[in-house]
Amino acid sequence: MYMVIAYAFATLVLGGYLVWSLRLLRELSKKR
Amino acid sequence: MTRYEKAGAAAVALMAVAAFFIFVYAPEDALQHQAQRIFYLHVSSAIAAYGCFAVVLLGGIGYLWKESLVADRLARAGAVVGVIFTTVTLVMGMLWAKPIWGTYWTWDARLTSTLVLWIIYAGYLMVRQLAEPGRQAARFAAVVGIFGFVDVPVVHFSVTWWNTVHPGPVVINDALPAQMLIAFLITMACTLFLAAVMIAIRYRIEALLDARTEHAHAPASVVAKPEVGRAKP
Repeated sequence: MYMVIAYAFATLVLGGYLVWSLRLLRELSKKR
Repeated sequence: MTRYEKAGAAAVALMAVAAFFIFVYAPEDALQHQAQRIFYLHVSSAIAAYGCFAVVLLGGIGYLWKESLVADRLARAGAVVGVIFTTVTLVMGMLWAKPIWGTYWTWDARLTSTLVLWIIYAGYLMVRQLAEPGRQAARFAAVVGIFGFVDVPVVHFSVTWWNTVHPGPVVINDALPAQMLIAFLITMACTLFLAAVMIAIRYRIEALLDARTEHAHAPASVVAKPEVGRAKP
C-alpha cells in the first residue's frame, strides 16, 4: 500500500512536471 | 514533434523500462516485502538531485567567473529540477519509513540534512522569483547555489559520520543481491536521463523567458526593429 502511494506520488510529480514544462515550452516558442 | 518532446518521450519510455525492473524483475525482499521496492526510485532520485545541485554549483561558478548568462540559466534549471527530485526523495523516504520504522519522520541526521538541502534550494528559487532580474540577483543566487552545495556531501556522508537510523550505503558495501543491484542500476541510469532531459527543457524555457524580459525592457526603437522590412499584406 505504501509502495503504491510512493510510486503514484513520484509519477504524478515527475510526469506532471515533465508534461507541464513541455506545454510551457511550446507556448513560449509559439509566442516568440 | 520538437526535439524536446522527443527527448521527453524517450525519458518516459526509459522510466517504463525501469518500472519493469522494479516491479517484475527485482525479487521481493524477505524482511521489508513490497516497501523495499521504494528504495530503487528513492535512492535514484537522491542521486539525480545531487547531480542537479552540482549543475547549480558549476553554473554559479561560471556566472561569478565569466558573468556567463548560459551558466546562470543552467544554474536556474538545475535548481528547479533538483528541488523536484529532492521532494520525490523526501516523500518516498517518508512512505518507506512508516511501515519499516513505524513513523513517517524522525529528526535523524540523514533526514534532517536532506530537508535542509530542500530548504536551501527552495530558498534559492524564491530569491530568483522575488528579486528583480539582473546582475545583482544572479550574483546573490550564484553565491547561495555555491555555498548550498556544501550540504550535499553532508547529506551523503551523514549515515557514516553520525549514528543514524537510516540504512547505510548498500550498493558500495555489496549488500544487494545481483537482481536487486541490476534493477537499481537501471533505475538510476533512467532517472539520470530523465533529470538531464528536464534540465534541458527548463534551460530552454529560461532562455525564452530571458528573451521576453530583454524585449520588454528594450527601447521602443529596438523593439520595433524586426518590423522593418516586413512585407506589406
